[in-house]
Parts: sequence; C-alpha cells; structure tokens
Amino acid sequence: MAMWYEKFGKDQDVVLSSKACIVRNVKGYNFPNRMSDSDFDSFMEQVDGAIDKSVTGNIWSANALGSGDEEGDSLLTPESQLFGRDMSIIRNPNHKCIYYSDDAGTSIVVGSNEHLTIRSMAAGYDPSVYARADKLAVELERKLDMAYTEKYGFLTSDIRLTGTGLKMLYTVSIPAISKSNGALAALRQRVAQYHMDIYPFAEQGELADASVYIITNISTLGVGENEIISKSKMLLNDVIELERSLREKVATKNKIQSSDMYGRAYGLLRYAGVISRREAVDALNWLRIFKEYDDSGEINVSWEKINKLTQDVCWEFIPPGKRGSMDAPAIRAAKIKTILKGDD
Amino acid sequence: MRCARCGAEVTNKIIKINGVIYCENCVRELGYDRYITNPEEILGAAFSPLDEIASSFAKMAELDFGNSALTCPKCGLSLRQFENNGKVGCIECYNTFGDYVIKEMFRQQGADEYAGRIPGQSLITEGDDSGDSEPEEDAKNESKEETKEEKSESAKAEENISDEKTLEKLSKADIGMLTDEELTNGIKLATKFENYQLAIRLRDELKGRKEGE
Repeated sequence: MAMWYEKFGKDQDVVLSSKACIVRNVKGYNFPNRMSDSDFDSFMEQVDGAIDKSVTGNIWSANALGSGDEEGDSLLTPESQLFGRDMSIIRNPNHKCIYYSDDAGTSIVVGSNEHLTIRSMAAGYDPSVYARADKLAVELERKLDMAYTEKYGFLTSDIRLTGTGLKMLYTVSIPAISKSNGALAALRQRVAQYHMDIYPFAEQGELADASVYIITNISTLGVGENEIISKSKMLLNDVIELERSLREKVATKNKIQSSDMYGRAYGLLRYAGVISRREAVDALNWLRIFKEYDDSGEINVSWEKINKLTQDVCWEFIPPGKRGSMDAPAIRAAKIKTILKGDD
Repeated sequence: MRCARCGAEVTNKIIKINGVIYCENCVRELGYDRYITNPEEILGAAFSPLDEIASSFAKMAELDFGNSALTCPKCGLSLRQFENNGKVGCIECYNTFGDYVIKEMFRQQGADEYAGRIPGQSLITEGDDSGDSEPEEDAKNESKEETKEEKSESAKAEENISDEKTLEKLSKADIGMLTDEELTNGIKLATKFENYQLAIRLRDELKGRKEGE
C-alpha cells in the first residue's frame, strides 16, 4: 500500500504536506513527564479500549521493537514521519505507543509529550486533515474523560498548546520566494498578519536555507478551530500564488539559464554516485522551479516523485555515530537513482 | 637588596618610597603604613560598594523566587521546574501555580481565554470532511433551504442558538480578517441581538475598507 506521502496531493508543486495535530490529556493521570509505570499500565488499558481500531488498526509499541514484524518494521522509517524528525520516540520508547492507519497518514501517539497526540497527514495542500483528526479526537473525547476547563479549554503539559490543542502544519517548498530579494521578508510579514509562524525546516546543518519551510498557527488560546483553519487556508493560498508567480518570473525571464540548471539538476540526481542532502535538495528545487516550463519533453518526472524525494531527503535520519561517513551520501544517491529510474 | 635606612636585607617585599628602598619595619617606623597595606584590602575597599549592590541583587532574587519552593501536591513538580521548561506535570499544577501559568500562557499565546469547541462536539457536519466549507457557511446554506418550507418553532429556536453562537464568534474574531460579506451579515446579526457595540465596530471596519478603495 502506498504511504500517505507518496499519494497525489493538491497544489503539491508548492505544498509538500499538510498535517493536523490535536493533543489531549485524560483526567486522573499525571501528564507523561510525571507518570509512573503503574499508572501508565492502567492508562494504556483505558486508552486501548477507547481507540477505534477500524481507522488506526496497527500498533507499534516499545514491546514490538525488534519483533521482526515485517509490516511494522517497514514503518519504522523516518520517512513515514510517525516518529518525529530525530526519531526521539524510538530512542526513548518507554511509556510510548503508536496506533496508525495502513498508509501511516492517521495516527494516535500515546504517551509522547501529551497523553494523546492525534495526527492526520496528507500529501500536498489538504485542509481536510483537520476534519479527520478532529473526528478521532471527538470519538476519544466521548469515551474518555478529558482534562478540560471552560476557561482554558483542553489542558496540556506544554502550555503553548493549552486551549484547542490544535496545530496545523504545512510544509512548503518555496525556492522562488526564498531566493528572490525581499520576497521572504514580505511573506514573513504576511504570515505575522495572520498570527501564524513560518520557520525553516532546518535552522542549521546541511539543510539550512534549503527553501523548505513549515507554516503553522501560533496560538491555541483566544482563537477557535474554525479561525485557525480559515486563517491557514487564506495564508496558504497567498503562499502558493506568490511562489508560482515568482517561478514564472524566474523561468521565463532567464529561460536558457533556468533550462540549463533544470537539466543539470536532473542529471545530478539521476546519475550521481554520491550526493549530499544539500546538493539533492538544491537540485530538487530546480526541478520544482522549471518543471512546468520545460517544453523539451526530455525529462518526465512527476510531482509525486519530486515530493517523495524531497521528503525522503529532509526526513532522512542519520544516527549520530554515522554522521560524516561517506556511506550515507552513497546510499542516498542510490535511492534517488532507483526512484528516478522508472521515468526514463 | 638591603634597606637604605637600617641595612637589613629586604626579603619579601621591596618597598620603594621616593626612589629609596626600605624594609617593612622601617616603613612602619617612618609612618608610611599605607605603602604596606595588603593590596587585596585596598581593592576590597574600592569594590565594597559593588559588593553591597551585588548582595542587594541577591536579596531581590531571593524575593523574586520566594515561591520557588512551591510544589504541586499531586505530581511533585516544583515551580522552578515549570519555569525552566514551560511544562506542567498534571491538571492540579494549573491550580497550584495559577498566576504563573496564566502569565506564561499569556506571554506565549497572547491570550488566556478559550475560544474553541467543547469536548465531544465536532464542528464538522456529518459527511463533510473536505475542509473547504466553514461551519458558518453550512449554517447559511441550511437556512436558505429552510426558508422554502414553513419553519417549525424548534427550528427557529435552533436558528437563534446558531445565530447567537455566530455572534459570539464574531465578537471574538479579528474583524480585519472577515470578508465584506461576513461584515455585512455580522452587522445585521448584531443589530438583531441588540449588540450595538459590535455592530458599530463591524460597520466602522466596512466603512474604512470602502473609503480605502
């Protein structure tokens, strides 16, 4: 079965993924950072009985690690985005468990930072992820007594989430905006007007300035779910429009240079034997900028593949001990080659 | 090196006064004690006002964190731990650290009042998971259809409740983000429920936009 991020998504030339995260805590138990072993066992029992397995029928838990379960192991990849960017859940699996759907697009993480983190993820721009996550949240709220007060809403361990507990996250690839003078600054201003935030996928390291950004809402108090959704919709429309218009400008104004960069980028991705993450993302950015304007017909790479490759590179996890070794760039290059091979 | 006055050998300190070398005893006898004062004492005296300032800061810090020993009776989290990582340990922490939590929530989020949905009640209508239509829009569509038929009393009551909810949302919303149509409808609704303050705010926003065009 295709994973959620390998599927077709709307506006996927700009938006890599849409995610809705809703956090909830159950009354009667300390939050995970202060929960005892015995409490966790009874908590898990209660939660397991409340979760609708028809949606999130698969389960990963600390006990299942290394069990050799093939399906489970295939999802134990950072690219599935189930485990966090630094694979922190796997590195510290105690008191944690994940219920997930077959394509890993819908999941309920138990015992991570909050009791329950309900997550829905989809490729491209898809605000309906909220509806899917909300449906699961409502079901759980009907079955479990949630920590809630009229004044502050849903109570959370992290007070930045108190209130609706809702975070809408859109990962966007905006090479034209980030490389155009003043465009990113203007976008930041626009984002602030919507009381939202935009930050780079990686602040430092190889992927810093890689033109991949995350757009999210700041507040969960003082704003309702509808307002969060509608503001993020309006903002995303602006981002998509701006990025496309700047791509058009770059591609048409300097068509020969852009076309050259596009061809070189594809060549690098398709034939390189060793490739760094930064090289890969830069090359993917050129594919992104010029794809719609390439009339040669020689390069046929789909948006789904460009997005899969971008996400694979961004979410790739290299264990601390192996950073700096040449194995990772060689493995990366081989993976990219394999994915692009089918387009020849 | 020898003392120019008594001829004794100078071992530890060489004290030179007006170019003449003296031993420590002769310096004392001549009344030049200030030349043999321990430099640390001089520095200590020179910086004594700073010491006083530093100690007063320390006292202020003690006052500021006078409640740092405050601990949640349920989960054992201390106020200091909360201040360090911004995370509480249980529901009871919200009561135990009340003001501190509220202050921090306000600092982080710019608000301290809940405006979301209530537990167990979805805002999404059944069968609509496209995410493209707002619950308000659904309500509007529903009301258009209903005008075709004679409304029952209960339907009217439901509509009133829905209008009241919409009005409440409008009063909390950032009116700069509303469309002209939403503002016009909002004015009508606010007038219907005699919320003239809100009606004026919405009217002024709409007027401002038209003047700006």
